[in-house]
Amino acid sequence: MNLLQRDFIVREPLLVSILVLITVVFSALTHSYSQAYDRRRLGLGVEWYERGNRELADKHPDVAVADFRTALFYDPQNRGYSMRLAEALSQSNHVDQALNYYSSLWQSQPINGLINLQIARLYARKGDSVAAERYFNGAVFGDWPENSVENRRAASLELIHFYLDRGDTGHAESQLILLSGNLPEDPEWHTRVAELYLRVGDAQRALIQYREALRLNPGYLPAIHGAGEAALRMGNFHDAESYLARAVRLDSADLSSKQLLDVVQAVTALNPYERGIPEAEKIRRTLRAFDVIGTRLTSCGGESPASPMAGYYTKWKDLKAAANARFLTQHPEEIETLLDFTASAEKSAQPHCGGPTPEDSALLAIAQQQETQER
Amino acid sequence: MSAPDVTTQPGTTTGPPVHPSWGSFASRLTAQLAFNEDRFFLILAVFIGIFAGLAVVCFRITMEWTRLYMLGSALTPSLWRAFLAPAAAGLVISTLLFTVFKGSAGSGLNQTKAALYISNGYIPLRTVIGKFILATLAIGSGHSLGPEDPSLQIGAGLASAIGTRLNLSRKKMRILAPVGAAAGLAAAFNAPISAVLFVIEEVIGHWSAGILATVVLAAVSSVVTMRLFLGSEPFFRIPPVGVIRWQELLAYSVLGVLGGIASVVFAGALEWLRPKIKQSPQFMQFLYPAIAGLLLGLIALSGFPQVMGAGYDFIDQAMHNQYTWEVLGMLAGLKILATTLSFASGTPGGMFAPTLFIGAMLGGAVGTVEHIFFPHLTGSVGTYCLVGMGVLFAGFLRAPITSVFMALEVSGDYTIIIAVLVANMLSYLISRRLRPIPALELITRQDGLYLPALEEEREQEILTVEDAMRPRPAIILDSQRTVSETWDIVQATTEEVFLVRRPSNSIALLSRAELQKLVDAGDARTLEDTQTLSIVPYLHPDEDLQVALRQATNFPVVPVLSRANVSRILGVIDISDIMKAYRKPHSPNPAPA
Repeated sequence: MNLLQRDFIVREPLLVSILVLITVVFSALTHSYSQAYDRRRLGLGVEWYERGNRELADKHPDVAVADFRTALFYDPQNRGYSMRLAEALSQSNHVDQALNYYSSLWQSQPINGLINLQIARLYARKGDSVAAERYFNGAVFGDWPENSVENRRAASLELIHFYLDRGDTGHAESQLILLSGNLPEDPEWHTRVAELYLRVGDAQRALIQYREALRLNPGYLPAIHGAGEAALRMGNFHDAESYLARAVRLDSADLSSKQLLDVVQAVTALNPYERGIPEAEKIRRTLRAFDVIGTRLTSCGGESPASPMAGYYTKWKDLKAAANARFLTQHPEEIETLLDFTASAEKSAQPHCGGPTPEDSALLAIAQQQETQER
Repeated sequence: MSAPDVTTQPGTTTGPPVHPSWGSFASRLTAQLAFNEDRFFLILAVFIGIFAGLAVVCFRITMEWTRLYMLGSALTPSLWRAFLAPAAAGLVISTLLFTVFKGSAGSGLNQTKAALYISNGYIPLRTVIGKFILATLAIGSGHSLGPEDPSLQIGAGLASAIGTRLNLSRKKMRILAPVGAAAGLAAAFNAPISAVLFVIEEVIGHWSAGILATVVLAAVSSVVTMRLFLGSEPFFRIPPVGVIRWQELLAYSVLGVLGGIASVVFAGALEWLRPKIKQSPQFMQFLYPAIAGLLLGLIALSGFPQVMGAGYDFIDQAMHNQYTWEVLGMLAGLKILATTLSFASGTPGGMFAPTLFIGAMLGGAVGTVEHIFFPHLTGSVGTYCLVGMGVLFAGFLRAPITSVFMALEVSGDYTIIIAVLVANMLSYLISRRLRPIPALELITRQDGLYLPALEEEREQEILTVEDAMRPRPAIILDSQRTVSETWDIVQATTEEVFLVRRPSNSIALLSRAELQKLVDAGDARTLEDTQTLSIVPYLHPDEDLQVALRQATNFPVVPVLSRANVSRILGVIDISDIMKAYRKPHSPNPAPA
């Protein structure tokens, strides 16, 4: 029977109807079949994913990589699996592979904060600062599905650390200023930011942040200690002493505050530039400072000609003849000579002569304050 | 397209009289609604696409189930499974091949082509079922073969079955098989453009607008169907393709050269091993799929289980920079070995996926080496893998157009076009130079078949009218002259047939005998008025000589006119001129083996 040779209107619709019917039946069967396989496939994906998580938790990232890869084979669309695989690759030091996976994810979600952050970390590990900075910024300004403010803040903090590790204090400070305007009412955050300000050398902004932290929690010890340190760096010795003394009162076991307090107290005792002190007291403090640096140079082995401090020691011995109260009273202009030498010698001694005593540190702090004032 | 088979409708010529306008409307409507094989064929192409898409979905899922049961759920199978599964499957496959599905061996591509040219596109349903079962078993158990070529045959077989049930004309049946083939391949590779081009390049062997429409319809509908069930994601994720610097073209050229050499090695290995296996005793032929499976297991046990199966997941891993260049190089070499073993043993399965695998590994190796020596160049290893796939496709399968489009379609990125063109063409040229006969053609010839190929057509010297025409005759008559004037003119020559220029610039023919009759009858009219002139068609110098042959069989001589000025006669051509041109020696085609 040649169907096509039949000549009547219904032939074509009839054939199409039959074909549609076959299509429906065939599709239904295929659908059931593919559903059964999909269930099995997704189940296997979950199974391998969980296995990978266990391996990652047990610090076996290489095994976890294979497990996540298998999970992804069974559920290729699962971004969670891709993320975990990239994370495992990153932990197993397969930076390029991890980067490839994250980059693939980034293609579909270019403003995803987490993906940007992970890519930034990997580029930072590879030493590609330009790319790392770009993706860190992508993380700071990107989308975060949960806790977006906190995550952006954390990304920003990581970017600051990235700049600081590279020694780029300028960019770090700019980022810190941005971050400062967006801090929660949390003394810990203010203290953390203040510490970073200290690292970039901006003691003034650090002190503001420490004070903000203390406003929120007046008894917050790290902030009290930090405020003391910031005040000391600014040359605000009275405030520094006040903060540090408070810190020591609150926690007598706080050694670092105690050490700083000793420095501040030494500054108070040694500072010849303190306003309003009589001339005799200035001379006394100058001579005391000169003795301190003399001790420092001697203990540093300055007497030996091979010592890097030998030149300073010789100079110190030369000046020693003039370092007495009578001479300085008669020649007050020589006070500056002695103080300049003291400051210069202490600065040079810092890298060569080991840990300074509180008095040594005080000399340095005094010199720095004086330089700041002169500038 | 041919005219509709039937247009008259019962009831329109008999019955009560109707209003003339209603009558003509009704007759037009019935003519429109009447069965039209051409129109129905387009609809059928869509259904074939859907059926092929559904069949390929089932095929792929079955293959995955088989893999799960035989090799386990891990990406890298355990050692004992890797060793035993392909060998055990090989035994089952041999048993079925020798008993139930005798026609189901091979990739499916050549069988489809053979069906098209030898049995008018008819593919037995048993062969299709056999291919489905045996290929799933082979690929699922880890034999180094791919699912694309079997999918192509499954699609073609389904189309053939439908065409047979509908008792379609022989002409339509011939078209139907490639339509199904394109649909099957498109669904298997999730790339409709590449599938259409591949079927035209490799199966049909020539371009035809009539076929193209149906093939495209079927390919698109099959891909849509497949994506409904399996999603639209590619088998391997393509990493971002960066801008390719000009310096990198050197590395891509190296890849092209290596790809060409690898293609030659691959084809050479098949050419050497396949006849040896085919000539061996029947019992040994029965054992070869199992032996191939055992050897494959050994390769897997030696630390390279990646060569098992189609290998798409490992292409994905190579694209994501997971292997060193040494491993990538080893994988490319071992895949050539594994595929040669599996394919030559007669295990059903395709060459498409292994070719892509070898190319990807080779590309990855070149890309990784390039990164070691020139780390400042930005191209990702994934891009090299992608270009490498195209390179092997061009070199081994000898489908250069498809190879370029495949790389573009799979990556969805136009920026790689220059790299793809450079590498693919180098590979193609090297492969063609070193092995004039393409691998697929070689396989068909080993099976005793000589089928046409587009590459052969490309090779053929095309003769045109200008190769055969003679200079214009000295005398061109004017139809406005009288018979006696014309007679005086023709006395100067001995020619028997004359060209006559007519007022409308058309050319007519007049024989000396007819003119003689008019002169004898004392006719004083102009030639135009005598009504004896016969209009002759004309040719242009660049037209195919085959066209001229058709014209010259009906006329003693055919004028050749300038395309720029059709009133200008450049020459004439007749059947003897054409035959002379055909008899002239020209560059020979590769002789059959």
